[in-house]
Amino acid sequence: MSIYRLFWIIFISAYSVVRSDDFKEEMYIKPLPPSHLYTYFQFITIVNHKSTEHSHLSPRSLGEVISRFKVDELHLTLTEGQWRHHQWGYPVLDAAPGAELYAWFATDVDDIDTQWRKLTSTLSGLFCASLNFIDNFNTVIPQMALWPTGAVKPIQNITSQLRYASLPREIVCTENLTPWKKLLPCESSRGFSALLNSRMIHNTKYHSIGVHVRKICANKDCTDTHLEIKQTVALVYDYKIINSMDWSFRKLFGQGLPGACTLSSASTIYVDVTTNSSHSFKLTPSPHRILQSQRGASETEFAVYDIHNNGEMINIGAKYDSKYSNNMTVIIPPPIYFNRYVLGYGKEFGGIVTELVNNYMTAIDVVLLENAPWWLPIQLSSLRVNGEANNKLVIAQYFSPGRNRQKPYHLELLIKLPPRSTTTVTIDFEFVFLKWQEYPPDANHGFYIGSALITANLPTAKQYSSLPISGSTFDSIINASKPWYPAVFRTNGAMVSLPTPDFSMPYNVICLACTVVALAFGPLHNICTKELILKPVGTPVSLTQKLMNLLKRKKD
Amino acid sequence: MGLLSDPEYGSVKWVRLLNRIHGPLCLLCYAGALVWFLMLGNKEFNNETYFSENALLPGLVTNEFNAEQSSRQFYNEFLQELEDKYYDTDEMPVPWLVAKMSQLHLEVYTHNFTLNYPLGQGQIYKGTNVYGILRAPRTSSLEALVVTAPYRSISSHQKGTAAGIALMLAFAQFARPQKYWAKDIIFLVTEHEQLGMQAWLEAYHGLQSDAETFYTSLGSFWKPDTPAFDFGRVGDVFNWGGGHQKCLDPGKLKGRSGSIQAAINLEFHAPKIKYIEVKVEGLNGQLPNLDLVNLVHKLCVKSGIHHSYKNSYSWMRTRNKMDEWTNGIWTMLGMVSAQIAGVPNGNHGLFHRFGIEAVTLEGRDANDPAGIPPKVNALTTANFYRLGVALESILRSLNNLLERFHQSYFFYLLAATNRFISIGQYMPSLCLLCVAILVRALSMWVNIQQDGDEEPEKSVKRKTSDACVPGEHESEERSEEKVKTIPKGRKIEESNMSIVNIGANYLLVHLLGYVVMNSPMVFSKIGATYYNQPSEVSVFYGLIVASVFLIFLTPLMPRLLRTGRMTHEELSLVNILLLIELATVCLSVGMHNFPLGLVIAVLYTPLALVVGVETTGGGKRRVITIFLKRVLCLLLHPLCIVTVGMVTYSRVLFPEENLLSMAGRGRDAAMQAIMFSIVDSLIYGNWLYNVATAVILPIWIIFWQILCIRIDDTV
Repeated sequence: MSIYRLFWIIFISAYSVVRSDDFKEEMYIKPLPPSHLYTYFQFITIVNHKSTEHSHLSPRSLGEVISRFKVDELHLTLTEGQWRHHQWGYPVLDAAPGAELYAWFATDVDDIDTQWRKLTSTLSGLFCASLNFIDNFNTVIPQMALWPTGAVKPIQNITSQLRYASLPREIVCTENLTPWKKLLPCESSRGFSALLNSRMIHNTKYHSIGVHVRKICANKDCTDTHLEIKQTVALVYDYKIINSMDWSFRKLFGQGLPGACTLSSASTIYVDVTTNSSHSFKLTPSPHRILQSQRGASETEFAVYDIHNNGEMINIGAKYDSKYSNNMTVIIPPPIYFNRYVLGYGKEFGGIVTELVNNYMTAIDVVLLENAPWWLPIQLSSLRVNGEANNKLVIAQYFSPGRNRQKPYHLELLIKLPPRSTTTVTIDFEFVFLKWQEYPPDANHGFYIGSALITANLPTAKQYSSLPISGSTFDSIINASKPWYPAVFRTNGAMVSLPTPDFSMPYNVICLACTVVALAFGPLHNICTKELILKPVGTPVSLTQKLMNLLKRKKD
Repeated sequence: MGLLSDPEYGSVKWVRLLNRIHGPLCLLCYAGALVWFLMLGNKEFNNETYFSENALLPGLVTNEFNAEQSSRQFYNEFLQELEDKYYDTDEMPVPWLVAKMSQLHLEVYTHNFTLNYPLGQGQIYKGTNVYGILRAPRTSSLEALVVTAPYRSISSHQKGTAAGIALMLAFAQFARPQKYWAKDIIFLVTEHEQLGMQAWLEAYHGLQSDAETFYTSLGSFWKPDTPAFDFGRVGDVFNWGGGHQKCLDPGKLKGRSGSIQAAINLEFHAPKIKYIEVKVEGLNGQLPNLDLVNLVHKLCVKSGIHHSYKNSYSWMRTRNKMDEWTNGIWTMLGMVSAQIAGVPNGNHGLFHRFGIEAVTLEGRDANDPAGIPPKVNALTTANFYRLGVALESILRSLNNLLERFHQSYFFYLLAATNRFISIGQYMPSLCLLCVAILVRALSMWVNIQQDGDEEPEKSVKRKTSDACVPGEHESEERSEEKVKTIPKGRKIEESNMSIVNIGANYLLVHLLGYVVMNSPMVFSKIGATYYNQPSEVSVFYGLIVASVFLIFLTPLMPRLLRTGRMTHEELSLVNILLLIELATVCLSVGMHNFPLGLVIAVLYTPLALVVGVETTGGGKRRVITIFLKRVLCLLLHPLCIVTVGMVTYSRVLFPEENLLSMAGRGRDAAMQAIMFSIVDSLIYGNWLYNVATAVILPIWIIFWQILCIRIDDTV
């Protein structure tokens, strides 16, 4: 038996070397006390070969998109809900509510804007999302906020190859999840993706699906690159909504895990058990191993399960100690958190405020990217940092004014957040009138302002759970101490209600016009289709009339 | 305009007709307006309420509220906590509320605010609000609903709100595990009644005390410090105004949700109530969207709770048309009286100016201080379960909203819980009153013109000067042309008509009104420093002194700027201007706050109709009429109206007292009323006091001037 298995493993590995695609699936579960649970899936396919004509485990549809439009790196997330950094700490990968897409194109692409539009339209078809609404008027070119995470050739101006757009109004649902699952080698029949039952995951408090494509170094000197396609799902469950603190796969996903995907080279589940000290819980079945990780000054403990494809149903769960269940928890906020809101009332002026809180004992440099749509003209002259026009905290600033129906307003600030402080960035806007066709359906619902991007190099790994930039699997997180930890966060979006005309008037006009047309249609139709025929003369005439006629004629 | 400047028009038919019938016509308009208003109470003249917003889907959900037990528990615990620790203090049990809300896994925040009392010796009041946010799943907190309850201490003379707070907490407990919320729900407990609410709303919308940055550009917000700043330079001696500091410092909020769509304020003193009174009137008479009011009434019916609005009780459906009509009229009058002062009758009223629709549900017992409705003892009492179900239905209905409230009516009167009068129906009554004033003005104008015709050589001059009436630009242009063509135009300077005199007087009087508007600060400072009086006393007597001063001084004012006596034409012109101003004020105030506009019009139209240019001479009878007119005018002085109104009100409340103590009580009440209106204007931006002093008072002064100056016609 064991010889057979050994042979099988050798065969598989030889096979994978030949075909040179590698697929791994991982899952990361982290309780977010007091009342939430974070589950994060990542499916990593590493494509070793250059050609996209042939694909083995990597999705061909996506590979073609990448090669056709010469995309170096691509990040697409579709998110419903808001990650609450203040209470939940940091996610592995942050995402803006709605749809968010950014990509770097290869240096030899000349007309990036055209390529970008083509890319968005193609992806729109691929993921059934309204990414085709991305156009020049909602695309920005971040100057400081975003940097490629993959291997790129050091060139002069990498930001000119970048395009960023977000659609905060996009609603993410099953129709996006199904095509997303189809990109996986095992689809949803086997492996971790079998857990992604749309009925259950749309019951969460927050869910986000994503596709991240980048180039990674094939060897130490980075002379060659591989393509890494990472598909992610982030879910946050609310204990209150699932009605108990004890969780299990069956409770979360509606079913147990039917083993690993046959095509995966590794299927691992990591459960963050660091909080076990304060909120004691017991994992069943017991983990295969416990990993201790020291990253910066923060210690993390993982319970690890290696999942094999042996036909067993696995139902990992946690049972909390009942005496702690009503324990009050003091939420320790992460080093940086933020809040964004709209000021004022009425339909004349308003302002957007971004509050950045640095909770750490040293100053932290952050880049804040504000991206206001063209119908929300923000004025640089009204920019105030902590109420001052020329604040010393701002180290660098980039502003690109928008143009009506063509270009969004784009502001980037490099700010030094003083230790243990709150920094408030305020900018005013004026409300504008739109053309009446430009109002979306349900115009009085309000207009969405997208999230601001906050990029920081955190000096501490407290509550930080992202992978190091060089790593692609979760084991790279273990003891990955670095001088600083890069992170990109999204603030919450906001909504403003623009001056909206009374749309019931056109509605009435349409109703009236339709009625008039309908009334006019009948007679018109009759006239056009029916022939007018004179009444035949030969109707029977009564005898007396005949006589009268005769008499008349005689008189004449 | 062609008509107005046509020299021949004195003989036109309609002018003669107008001259003959303008008196009866005005009276007819006045009576017609009142009759129209009273007719609106009749079922034939108002409409059944209906839902405009389809998305509300009222009452379609199956109610699941099951937290009756816990609401009772919250109620008992809360009362226990109050009796144990907060028996003799006005403070709010902040730790208890924070603990309870955190246990329900809401995001809990506290909010501190400070009031620098604008009048008096700079007292400072502090307060704390507690609020918890229920974050809706799968949304990024773009929209929110608010459920609030004011906190009232045990020692408060008002009905408590313990049951309301308990119900709110129980509802939060019920709502937290639900996954259907599409909007965040903010549960808010405010301290110091409306002050806490105002502070929270200002903080939520980012209005700050140091109007340094963005806030100064918020033109729409009434800045109470601006007038003080303008006059601060003049009145430096008094060291008043307090610089740029706004009196209410709203502080900062640590947690926020999205734009607030609607708010429900709960005032339940006990779980067992007989019926719910739905309160709608807000600041400056603003009303919530009629859809929300309907929603609350309809869902009360569905949840089996008796509800009422003013004199209209849901359990009293009479078949008698006359009864129905009188009830309708009383309900309308109740609404009018609640709106005149512009003071919100619940915490909901402060939401309106921020574009948020809100109502208050007040629980009432059989022996409520507001009055005992008929057959109330036969009603079944409502309990926590029913109230919870009603609250759940309302909030789930609001949760269905796709768009913020924009349909239905924002301007309406209610004649019953299910009958309403739209702005198109009630506006004619106010318009009729203004028509009466304007007809009077027109007839006066025509009279001046006719006088001119009698003296042909003077007519040109007079016309040129007459035409400079503001708002009659066309004729101005026209007459300017005439001046150029007629060589006699040079004589204008020699004319008796002095536009400068009239204009200066007019401007000066309005400036006086503005000064009076800003005077309370000075009065209270003077009263405090020299006479050691509380600010309401010093302000009241200060205003009386100012009024007396104005009464004696202002009739002399028109003579300040000229050597000769006023002419008949000048005074008529002033009168016409005044009438036009009065009509405009009534209409524009009525557009925003119909009851206030209506009451101003009803009170001042008779005065406007009797006041005319008086000439010297005439018999004794004439003297008596003038005297009577003056008495009427004095009675209609704004301060006098308030005092008389308060004395009558106290007479109604305490009929057994003798005259003297009644007057004393009335005076105290008037003092309080004036003080409240000033403070409201400073803190909340209530414009009743500002309208009364800056607009009505100048109008009154000019009436007084006209009545006091008698033209010597013999010259």
